[in-house]
This record gives sequence, C-alpha cells and structure tokens, in this order.
Amino acid sequence: MNNVQSLIDGFASALTLTNLGFGLLGTFLGTLVGVLPGIGPALAIALLLPITYTVSPASALIMFAAIYYGAMYGGSTTSILLNTPGESGSVITALEGNKMARRGRAGAALATAAIGSFIAGTIATAILAFTAPTIADLAIQVGSADYVALMLVAFTTVSSLLGASQIRGFIALSIGLALGLVGADLQSGLSRLTFGSDAALEGIETVPVIVSIFALGEALYIASRYKDLGWNVISMKGKALMSREDWKRSWKPWIRGTFLGFPLGVVPAGGSEVPTFLSYSIEKKLSKHKEEFGEGAIEGVAGPEAANNANAAGALVPLLALGLPTSATAAVILVAFQTYQIQPGPTLFLTNGALIWTLIASLFIGNALLLILNLPLVRVWVQLLKIPRPYLFAGIVTFALMGAYALNTSIFDVQVAIAIGILGFLFRRFGMPITPLILGLILGPNLELQFRRALQISAGDYSTLWASPLSKILYLVLIIALFTPIIVRIVRKVRKDAVAR
Amino acid sequence: MGSLFLLGLIIFCETYTTELPAINLTISPRVFPYAVAGLLMGLSALLFINILRGDTALPEGHPEGTPIEKSDFKSFGTVLASFLAFLLLIERAGFIIAASITFFGITVAFDNKKHGRAAIFGTLFITVIYLAFTRFLNVQLPAGIFKGVL
Repeated sequence: MNNVQSLIDGFASALTLTNLGFGLLGTFLGTLVGVLPGIGPALAIALLLPITYTVSPASALIMFAAIYYGAMYGGSTTSILLNTPGESGSVITALEGNKMARRGRAGAALATAAIGSFIAGTIATAILAFTAPTIADLAIQVGSADYVALMLVAFTTVSSLLGASQIRGFIALSIGLALGLVGADLQSGLSRLTFGSDAALEGIETVPVIVSIFALGEALYIASRYKDLGWNVISMKGKALMSREDWKRSWKPWIRGTFLGFPLGVVPAGGSEVPTFLSYSIEKKLSKHKEEFGEGAIEGVAGPEAANNANAAGALVPLLALGLPTSATAAVILVAFQTYQIQPGPTLFLTNGALIWTLIASLFIGNALLLILNLPLVRVWVQLLKIPRPYLFAGIVTFALMGAYALNTSIFDVQVAIAIGILGFLFRRFGMPITPLILGLILGPNLELQFRRALQISAGDYSTLWASPLSKILYLVLIIALFTPIIVRIVRKVRKDAVAR
Repeated sequence: MGSLFLLGLIIFCETYTTELPAINLTISPRVFPYAVAGLLMGLSALLFINILRGDTALPEGHPEGTPIEKSDFKSFGTVLASFLAFLLLIERAGFIIAASITFFGITVAFDNKKHGRAAIFGTLFITVIYLAFTRFLNVQLPAGIFKGVL
C-alpha cells in the first residue's frame, strides 16, 4: 500500500497552484498543437525545452506530460472535422469520425472521442501507477548486456512495424545512429565524424534535430506540394453531446480499446498505429451495425480513440521504469528528464520518487482538465483551424529556428537544423518514418555505452552479450519482430496467387 | 539511395583514418561506427534491389495508385531561402529583422497574396515574441541593430 500513499502525496504536490498552472498551460498547449495539423506533441515539447533552464523539474515535466496527453485529444478534433489527422494515432479516427461529421453528427463523434479518451486515459494511468514501480523493481537486476538486447529489440520493433517498408525504417534508424555518433567519444575523447569542426565536437544537439525534422521538413514538404492539399473544415452544428443510444454503443469499445492500447504501449510495438488499427478492426467485427462502418459508425471512433490514449499512457511505463522511449514524444520527454540530470530507469522511483508520483498524479488531473477543456470549448478549438495557413507555417518555422538558436545561442545549431530540415523533407517525400531516426539519435549513444560496459566487464568476450536468460529471450523476440512482417507478406502473396488461380 | 551508400562509406573512411588515442581500451571507439557504416551500406544495397523490383517511394498517407504531382520547386526554394536568411542574419542584424524576413518569406511561399499585411503582421508578431522571450523567459536572443533601443 506504499504506492497508494506515495500517489496521495503526489496529488498533494501536483495540486499546488504553480504545478496546477503549468498543468493547465500544458493541456492548453497540447490541445492546440494536437488541433493544428503540422505540429505534433514531440515538436511542441522540443520547442519548449529551453524553459527547463528556468522552471523547476516538477513543473516542466507536468507541463510536458499534459502536452503529451492533450495532443491526443486535440488530434481527434482535427481528424473528425478536417479529415487531416494531427498526429499518427488519429489516422483511424478520421475514417469514421469524418464520415460522422459529414452526416451532421460531428458533436457525437467529438464527444465519444473526448469521453473515451478520458476514460481510457484514467484507467491506463491507474494501471501505470501500479505497474511501473513493480517493473522498475524487477529491472534493477537487469545488466548492461540485457540493456543492449532490450535496446536492440526496441530499435527493431520500431523500425520494422512503423511505416510501409521495413528497410526504410532501418535506414531511418541508421541515419539516427550515425547522427548520434558525431562528436567526441565519451570514453576515449576521440573525435568522430566531426570533419575538423570544433562546434561539432560537442555532438549534435537532439533538440534542433527534432524541431527541424518535424517543423522545417514539414514546411518544405507542404510548400513543395501545396496545390494538391486543400483544407475543408466541416462546420459543427449543435453541442458536443451524445444520445443514450450513442452511450450504449460507445462504452464497450472504450473499455476494449483501453485494454488493447495499454499493453501495446508498454511493449515497444511501434507507436499508436498498431493498437488503433487493431481496435478499429475488432469493433468492426463485433459491431451489430456493420453496415455503418465506412459510413460513420460511432464504434469506429470510440474504440480507436480509447486505444490511442491508453497507448500513450502505456508508453510511459518503459520510459519511466527502463529509461526506454518507444515513441518520438516519449524520446523528447526523456531528453527533458536528462536536462535535469535525471536518468529515467530502474532506480528512478528510489532517487526521484516524489517527483515521479507528482507526475503520475498530474496525469490524472490533466485528463480531467482535458475533458473540461475539450467538450464545452470545442468550438474555440475549431476556430483555430481558420488561421490562414501561410501565417500558421510562418509562425511554426520561425519558432523552430528560434528554438534551435536559443538553446545554446549557437549558429552551428541553426546550420544543423536547416540541414536536418532538408533531410526531413526527403524523409517525408520518400515515405521514410521519422521515429526510428529520433530513437537512434537519442538511444544510440546509450546503446554504445552499455555495449562497451558489458564488454569491459567480460574483458572483451562477446559471448557475454547473450549469456543471460533474459537476453536470450529478448533476442528471440528480436528475431520474431524482424521476420514477422516478411512472413506476413509472403503468406499474403501466396494467398493472393492462390485466389488468382 | 546512392547517397545513403556514400554516407556509409564516409563514416567507414572517417572512422578508419582517425588516429586512436594511446589509451588502452578493451573496446575501441571504432567498433560502433563500423557497425553503423556497415548497416547503412547493407541497407542501401537492399533498398536498391527493392527499387529495381518496382518499389516506388510514396509519401506516407499518399493513396496508392495515384500519381505524385511534380514537386513545386519555386515554393520549395522560397522556403529554403527563408531558412538561410535566418541563418545569415540572426547574428548580424539581430533576431527581429532575421525572423521577420523568414516569416514573410514563408507566407510568400505559401501563396499568401496580401504581402503588405503579412509583412506588418509578421514583424509585429516577431517583436512581441522577442520581447516576451527576452524579458519574461530570460531566453537570450541577439538584439542586433536595435541594441539599446528595444
């Protein structure tokens, strides 16, 4: 019952005026970036990282967590009314949600998304509060070699499961790893890949990379094909309310979505696409109104939205308990921890217990605030979609460039940002996923550190890497994750050929 | 694609040619770069094979089967030029001028017709941002030619 007491203490400190204020600001900003297409939570948090210099860790982390949750809510609004998903987890929501809006049921779609997100978020955060410390306890015994295996598994699953092509995922990962190599080697001081530049010795900062790959890359991409992307906001009539019938059809998908989304967030399964898609297909199978799917079925909004939010909470488990981010946003939050010299991982609950429990409590509070912020105020958010796009992108770009410069007041960071922006454009244009790159950049140096530590303990004997039972299991998982997409593809092809015959 | 292979090769060469420090380390700081270089070269070869077999690179979310419109390089160039303007001007002319030009450049690239309004609004917006960040958040931004005025 120790955890319950810690959680209550967490609530006490999360409810102080300052922390509550930052939480509210975070939910507000999160909804904002979720609503506006083109900026996601990862970018928003990365842009706000400079404030870590002036704000206390608890306040900053509360704000970042609130942005993370808030973006999930905001994203669904854009999906439903604009058919342009603000972030990847809302892609599925757009399928049915936008159809509902077209049929004049925008209010019900928005309500089921928001209430479903609230319920899923609350249940999932409760599970998080009670599983993360246990996992952390178990993880204390995990050695360097096991960490190497764990990180390799995370790399593999994220690269293989995101996006259309496995090879592209791995290429993105490798480029991230290569960027992570730049700078002086921590152990020997050897300068690597700096090409004689002194500014590069300190390595490439994560923040300019994240900011520019999202913001600058997207701006370049949209500019290059502005003409074929129109905006068509569906106006909303009435209030965001659900009828009795809607409630009856929504609550089961909410619960199913929650229990689908959470575990898939805990294991690095490559972000929110997989659980939202699974939830959608399950609801389609179980629904009594199959004929409505594709025409605006409320279950098709309720399930995936719940799965999306539960997934976001689930992703915090490996982040807090193992120091292992599984999504781009989680990776940026990891950077935020690190700027405060806090290393998430097995010892986090011991060394920074109070802070973490405050953070978890603030997630509950944030969720409640978001429900209030989103249901009655949804019209205000819709107005935001009327900001002319040139102004919107101009604002995003100047903010991104300013963020890159202000972090170290360094021109080098701006140069890096622009170069990465062009890279981001190429990634976008050629269908390369961005998340593996960010994971590679952030976790790469960590992987190398653990790898060398393990080999130093074993005096250079490579078999230490797969000596422990845990690492054997992890490598097995890695092989499965690597080959499953290939096998699935072959099976599909064989079936198709059989049908053709 | 070819550039990916090149990147792998560059990492390999750079790693190979750097002199090792005279400390005795169990694991050389070269092991990891070699692995990354190998990975990049191997993957680029695989991608090349896939492209030969008819794999086309589509932007994510692009519906399959529809042709991709040719990229609009004029807008693209304008956006890129706006980025570079920021890079060149930030320390010479100061944040307000650099960012206002960038802001204006982006609105032009995104087909905004009312240039006068965009310029005025952009400059005002940037000035407000500048004051907010330097006065309230203590983030240092170069004042440039307005040093001592604002």
